[in-house]
Amino acid sequence: MKAKKLLWAVFIVALVIAVFLIAMAQYYVAVALVIGTLIMRHREIWSLIKTRKLPPVDERVRENTGKAIRNGFIFFAVATAIMMLPFGGVVTRNLDTVHILSALFLAAGLVYLLTYLFYDRAEPKMTQGRLKMLKTYLLIIGISVGVFIHNALYALFDVEEPVFFIIATIISPLALAVGLIGSLVVFIMGLAGRPS
Amino acid sequence: MKTRIKEFRSRYNLTQEKLAEMVGVRRETIIFLEQGKYNPSLRLAYSVARTLHTTVEELFIFDD
Repeated sequence: MKAKKLLWAVFIVALVIAVFLIAMAQYYVAVALVIGTLIMRHREIWSLIKTRKLPPVDERVRENTGKAIRNGFIFFAVATAIMMLPFGGVVTRNLDTVHILSALFLAAGLVYLLTYLFYDRAEPKMTQGRLKMLKTYLLIIGISVGVFIHNALYALFDVEEPVFFIIATIISPLALAVGLIGSLVVFIMGLAGRPS
Repeated sequence: MKTRIKEFRSRYNLTQEKLAEMVGVRRETIIFLEQGKYNPSLRLAYSVARTLHTTVEELFIFDD
């Protein structure tokens, strides 16, 4: 009963948000929201089609959902703070608020979905070594994005720094590519792999 | 952590799906429990142990 109520609540909330997004002409975010909801609840939908019964919302599912919501919210809060504080002027000059909010919403939704899939599927199948590898790649992504933000800030205030310019244009994108590819490979291997 | 869930499950001819249904959790949770990949709450551990007519100490083996 609880599972059925939760599923209905998720679909109704997603539908209301989708209607708002369509009204604001943010079609791509609405499509992403619908696809995201279907991916997020694919197990329930599949079980409903197959057995006409919903799987229970047990403590593991509740824990994973809680962790994924926390990560999505932290990302949304941090990204909003970064957009509003250092880049506020530049961003609002070039884009309207609806576009900014749509992009933030989309990115936060993606963070939620990926972390939910990670906690639910990949993490239990991963060995300690692979988890460490994933953390290293994510750290590389974090550092390269940090360097990019630092240099973007300096560029905004027209401060010339040749060393940081080389780091930002050559080393940082390379590190970002290595981090992204590496973490994706480890993540997908974890999703597809068998529990060890 | 090691568990003897599989051993007790086969003793009572229970499938993972059936045990999950009896305990009120998803089949994946039973799979991860059997492999020692998930640390259950005391409530869930007790519930699984009671369903398999045994105790928590018998079912879960903690190695330091």
